[in-house]
Amino acid sequence: MIKILVNRAIPNSEKIKNRQDFDLILKKRNQISSKNILPWYFGVIGLASFIVAIMTILL
Amino acid sequence: MAVNLLYHQSTFRLEDEMSQIEIAKKDPRQFAPLYKKYHEAIFRYIYKRVDDEEAAYDITSCVFVKALASLPKYEFRGVPFSSWLFRIAKSELYQSFRDKKAQRTVSLDSVTIVQFIDELNEDFSEEQRTILLNSLRLLKENQLQLIEMRFFEKRSFKEIGDIVGLTENNAKVKTFRALVKLKEIFNKSKS
Repeated sequence: MIKILVNRAIPNSEKIKNRQDFDLILKKRNQISSKNILPWYFGVIGLASFIVAIMTILL
Repeated sequence: MAVNLLYHQSTFRLEDEMSQIEIAKKDPRQFAPLYKKYHEAIFRYIYKRVDDEEAAYDITSCVFVKALASLPKYEFRGVPFSSWLFRIAKSELYQSFRDKKAQRTVSLDSVTIVQFIDELNEDFSEEQRTILLNSLRLLKENQLQLIEMRFFEKRSFKEIGDIVGLTENNAKVKTFRALVKLKEIFNKSKS
C-alpha cells in the first residue's frame, strides 16, 4: 500500500550536508572491489594448488 | 516551471564535470566533489519516496557506493551524469521496497495538491483532495512515478526521459497517458 504524506517536514540543506560521509562511501566501495577480486583470485590459487598436489602425487 | 540547475548545466560546466569524472575513474578519492555536488539532490529524491528519514540516508549512501563502483563503466552517451545517478537511485529505491527496508511513499504539499486538482480541471475542496489522494494509490507504479516527477517535482520531460530511460517525446506521451488514467480513476471515484 502506498503511503501518502502531506506537508511533511523536509530536512534542511545544513542537516543533509552534515550527513555526508565520503570516507564511508570509499570504504564500502573498496569492500565491494575486494569481494569482486576474491572469486577469481582464490579460483586461480585453488586451481594452481590442485595441479601442484596432483603433480606431487603422480611424480 | 522551475529549472533544475543541476540538470540544466552550461556546456562549460558539463565539460568540467566530465573531466572530474575521468579523474575519479583513475582515483576514486577524487569522486568527493561529485559526491558533495549531488548528495542533497539524490537524498531529496529518495526522501520523498520513502517514509523513513534514516532509510533515505542509507539508500542515498548505497547509491553513491554503487555509482563509485560502476564509475569506470560510465560513458557520456547524451545522458547527463546527474540522470545516471538518478537512474541508480531509482534502482536502489525499488530494491529497498522489494527488500522491505522502506515503504513506498508519495510526499506532497498542500499547494501542489491545489495546483494538481486545477490541472485535472476540478475545483478544490476537501472532498476532491481526499479523492485525489486515494486515486494516486490506484495508479500503476510506472504511471505514478511519471506524475510524481512531472507535476510534484516539476521536472522537464527531457530529464524525466533520461531518468526512466525514455526519449523526451515518449516521456511526454506516457506522462499524458498517466494523467488521463488518473482523471479516469478520479472521475470514477467521484461518481
